[in-house]
Amino acid sequence: MSGEAPDTRRAFFAMLTAGLGALVGAIAVVPGLGLLAAPLRRVIVRGGGQPLRVAAEADVKPGKPTRVTAAGEVQDAWLRLDHVTVGSCWLVRATEGAPIRAFSTVCPHLGCGVDWNDKTGKFDCPCHASSFDLQGRCLSGPSPRGLDELEVSLDAHEVLVRYQRFRTGSPKKEPIG
Amino acid sequence: MNSGPVPVLQPRPPADRSRPVATRPAWQAWLEERLGLPLLENAILGGQMPGGASLWHTLGSVAAGLFVVEAVTGIFLSLFYAPSVQTAWASVAYIQDRLPLGWFVRGLHSFGSSALVVVAGLHLLQVLLFGAYRRPREMNWILGLVLFALTALFALSGYLLPWDQKGYWAKLVEATITGSAPVVGAALQQVVQGGTAFGNLTVTHAFAAHALLLPAAFVVLTALHVYLYRQHGPTPKWSLTPEQIAARTQPAFPYQSVRNAAVCLFVLSVVLWFVASHHGAALESPADPTSSYLARPEWYALPLFQLRMYFEGPLEIVATMIIPGIFSALLLALPFLDRAPSNRPSDRKRVMAAAAASVVALGALAALALAKDARDPAYAKARAEEETRAREARRLAEKGMPAEGGLAVFRNDPLNHARDLWDQRCSGCHGLAGLGGDKGPDFKGYDSRAWIRGFLENPEAPLFMGTAKIDRGMKSVQGSPEELDALTEMVYAQTGAPDADPAKAARGHDLVDQKDCDSCHELDGDGENAGPNLKGRGSLAWVEAVIADAGQGRLYGEKNKMPKFAGKLTPAEIEDLARFVLAQKTAI
Repeated sequence: MSGEAPDTRRAFFAMLTAGLGALVGAIAVVPGLGLLAAPLRRVIVRGGGQPLRVAAEADVKPGKPTRVTAAGEVQDAWLRLDHVTVGSCWLVRATEGAPIRAFSTVCPHLGCGVDWNDKTGKFDCPCHASSFDLQGRCLSGPSPRGLDELEVSLDAHEVLVRYQRFRTGSPKKEPIG
Repeated sequence: MNSGPVPVLQPRPPADRSRPVATRPAWQAWLEERLGLPLLENAILGGQMPGGASLWHTLGSVAAGLFVVEAVTGIFLSLFYAPSVQTAWASVAYIQDRLPLGWFVRGLHSFGSSALVVVAGLHLLQVLLFGAYRRPREMNWILGLVLFALTALFALSGYLLPWDQKGYWAKLVEATITGSAPVVGAALQQVVQGGTAFGNLTVTHAFAAHALLLPAAFVVLTALHVYLYRQHGPTPKWSLTPEQIAARTQPAFPYQSVRNAAVCLFVLSVVLWFVASHHGAALESPADPTSSYLARPEWYALPLFQLRMYFEGPLEIVATMIIPGIFSALLLALPFLDRAPSNRPSDRKRVMAAAAASVVALGALAALALAKDARDPAYAKARAEEETRAREARRLAEKGMPAEGGLAVFRNDPLNHARDLWDQRCSGCHGLAGLGGDKGPDFKGYDSRAWIRGFLENPEAPLFMGTAKIDRGMKSVQGSPEELDALTEMVYAQTGAPDADPAKAARGHDLVDQKDCDSCHELDGDGENAGPNLKGRGSLAWVEAVIADAGQGRLYGEKNKMPKFAGKLTPAEIEDLARFVLAQKTAI
């Protein structure tokens, strides 16, 4: 075993080892990457989407936002829960007789829960101090857009809200899930 | 190179650093200077194969390769697995049936572990045959046995994780066997299963052992195993003379490594065949601690399972502890007991005979266990029932698992939900095959031709309207068997059954007037009379209407005694109940 031949043979076997090893590795890794990518291609957590009863119409007082939670079915990976909190929102009636509007409590900046400040008459985000008026418009702070308005409907003096989540941190209001 | 004799125990000298730098790419020189790559290269690839590379020497590397496959697939699975009694089965069913390729990765992990047991066993036999356990390799033999035991513990802990019937019951038996060990048994069982009974901590403990503790121990001990292997070098075949060994010596890379990789790929392709033909690993129905499950261990534990059959009562410990204990002790002590003058199998006849006898005994015990089950019709029936139940559970899990997890998946079946409703709301008056109340008709076989025919022949029979105590109820229909058949078919056709014979039903329709049925029954759908309107009788909508309000004019009217359920049950519940009643047509 000397001369040119063993070196060629050696190089060939070295390449073959690498190739076969790579194949073994690919069998282990590639299908796993498919698993890893599954959350890119499907919605894992789903909830709301249809109108959910949140309050009686009479409970929404003019000029004083009410925080309510929407409960409904949630699908979360393998789990299905029939009656759990999907999310919460502020119900707002600007003046007596004005239509009821609903704003998600999720701050469009980075997702903290906005609170109503009775003293200033504004919605304040506790995390990064964005503030919003009764119409949900952003008055100050880093929020890239106003509060996300949700669809409201009335059914026999009950307020129904179609709860949705939207992508945070972007000026565009894009639903997610 | 390799033309002269190479000392067996010495690694290849470090790569030549005196080469002019210009022959190496600049980046390589840069890296080498900082990372000392030649040293690493030598540590990984520098081994020699005295006597030459061979297929015999592939098995350890193949086991290591399979372990890497297990580790990689295991990490991917852990991204989706949730260890608790409520979520274990649900998350595994999610991986298996709902995640794209989840079944494949889980199948690779499961069949790969079986392959690892096989390859590790063959590796052990090869070491026995070559005398590679002998001086100076005694410690590495013991390390190898410990690694083999760890492989078994991996399998045992992993088997439980899906929390399905087979995992739960196999593990329960094993835990009880652990608990039967003298002195420390009870405490050991309690620590391993996380309490005195199976529960959430059993799952978390098994998962931590399977995914953290055992891998860490396995990696460290494998590194030591490989280190000692490199220290002593491989054991050449006994038949080679020292001159032949020296003359045939090859560097391990690439001559041995190419064989290792090829055999590993071959074993993996067998694993892939199993994965594809079984559509991944089995997942049985969720663990049911109240069931009478025919527990069987995974195939490699069958010899022990069968051995236990021969030792009853207080002798059981002979099969579960004493024989396996003596066997393990002998294996561990083997290098110290073997005083043969050479590695030749002919010089070690007793070791070879004991090894052969052990392999035959293990194989025979496993074969006996399999043969006994194969002959047992009760076992076949239990398997078939479990398969149906598992399929049903997995189908229902796709609707989303209730929070209680596990067995609660069966609540997803509207018929099961309806059965609960039936028990609460209906069974006080109605029976099912004689079980339940007797104030209304029994629904066994409801809407089948036999049920309708029986009703027409004798409406006042106890299983029909006989116990409902309706004043001036329906009288028996008189006629030839042919006429009764035709009337039965006419009523049967009203249920919407697809197999109704239209010609026969039409003949029955003609008889309605002749047999005077129409003096009490309308057939137009809306008309009211003393008896129910027969149009669509027995269809889903009709049964729903009866449950909602049987006293409607077009139904039983004033003669009705059944309570109205509209308002008490939701329309969805009424529909579920109606489907449940209709399902009795074919229920056994």
